[in-house]
Amino acid sequence: MVILGVTGSILEFEPELDRSLHSQLSYVTPVGRVLSLREIGDVASRRFNGEPVVAYLLSTSPDLSWQVVLPSGIVYVNQYTGEVLGLRPRGQTFLGYVRALHVRLANGTFGRNILKWSGVTMLLSLASGLYLWWPMKQIRIRGRWSNRQLWFDLHNAIGIFLLLPLAMLAATGTAIGFEDQLAPLIYKLTRSTPIHTTRGPVREPAPGATLITPDEAVAIARIQIPGAVPYRVQMPKYGGLYVVALRYPQDRITGGANQVGLDHYGKVVSLSRASDLSSGDRILAMIEAIHTGDVWGMPSRIVVWVASTMVLVQAFSGLLMWLYRSRIVPTPAPSTAESGL
Amino acid sequence: MKKAIAVVLLLAVNALAGDLTGKWSGSFKVDGADHNVPQLFILKQDGNKLTGTGGPDDSEQYPIEGGKVEGDRVRFELTTGEWKFTYDLKAADAKIDGDLQLKSTNQARTAQVSLTKAK
Repeated sequence: MVILGVTGSILEFEPELDRSLHSQLSYVTPVGRVLSLREIGDVASRRFNGEPVVAYLLSTSPDLSWQVVLPSGIVYVNQYTGEVLGLRPRGQTFLGYVRALHVRLANGTFGRNILKWSGVTMLLSLASGLYLWWPMKQIRIRGRWSNRQLWFDLHNAIGIFLLLPLAMLAATGTAIGFEDQLAPLIYKLTRSTPIHTTRGPVREPAPGATLITPDEAVAIARIQIPGAVPYRVQMPKYGGLYVVALRYPQDRITGGANQVGLDHYGKVVSLSRASDLSSGDRILAMIEAIHTGDVWGMPSRIVVWVASTMVLVQAFSGLLMWLYRSRIVPTPAPSTAESGL
Repeated sequence: MKKAIAVVLLLAVNALAGDLTGKWSGSFKVDGADHNVPQLFILKQDGNKLTGTGGPDDSEQYPIEGGKVEGDRVRFELTTGEWKFTYDLKAADAKIDGDLQLKSTNQARTAQVSLTKAK
């Protein structure tokens, strides 16, 4: 539970942390027009021995750089000037390790199983905590603090104030852990099925044929999903077709679930829209959005961060309460006078 | 004379793996995971150079990069959107198996691959 809390609190602000750890790659000053994807891709490819572009990652904010995925890593490019800001090679990073710890204890199925049962344990701990708190209803940290008193009051106060967010985190985390078992049940209860995108036939490019550019692929995709903003473009060399992913910035739950697949000639061969998601898909997306704190944007992310961080304090204060409680305090033997002998 | 021997040896070593040209299917299993991920490769061997495509199925294929065959050793790379797959395999009869390294921009994992030649 402590591992889940600590790693969860770090992951809550993972994009911001990652950007601050690589600020020279991440931030740009918006000036003038944004270069085309083709220009940005050419700059990145030329700089790294002509490596082909695998995908483009478009930033969500004008002061964040765009990224070009190459086989050797991700190149950060200033989308206004074409300056190559640097390359991040592939491999394990600190934040990647934190994520691996959070979802599978940096292990495989064994770690994943431990974590999903930790969610159940946390729910039981919260229920037992509420049961123990209820008769006293202690919410104040009282003035005269002995060590035990301090940790006891702190444990009670934090526990009751964060009961709801902690219960939501534990319940949604458990649901995500048991998704293989839960998802069929959700689809059954909602009488829906998961949405699968079908892919139409893809024409292979004929020699000498005029093929669309990534910028044209994006323009066609935007027409298919009006109002959505593109955030990722996969090149057809990698996977057989252009895949443009788009999101509705205002929809924090399923907004990113839009994808348009186009062949080399610009024909739409696959289309998945957030609006087409089934009710079962939406419930599963909602569970994840609650768990990550994305559901109400920054306010809910802060609540999730505070609750995750406080798991460590609760575990520590709980341990100290138990230690103080279990310590055998020797009582002094009564003096002869007191005993009346 | 030495050159001729070297060429013969090289040819003999390459012959150990046989010709890998063709369709290979199988799966990989990430270490610690409990499920297999399907794999399908369409390989073309030209001497010790290996080209072609690979991916989870027929409809989703990615180009093979840096493909080399040295004796029974088969090495190549494949990049999907997020992950780079580095294969270090051994070929024997109509089977290829070995190690796979998966690297994203923030994670690295290892897996075991097993492929058989489609008839």
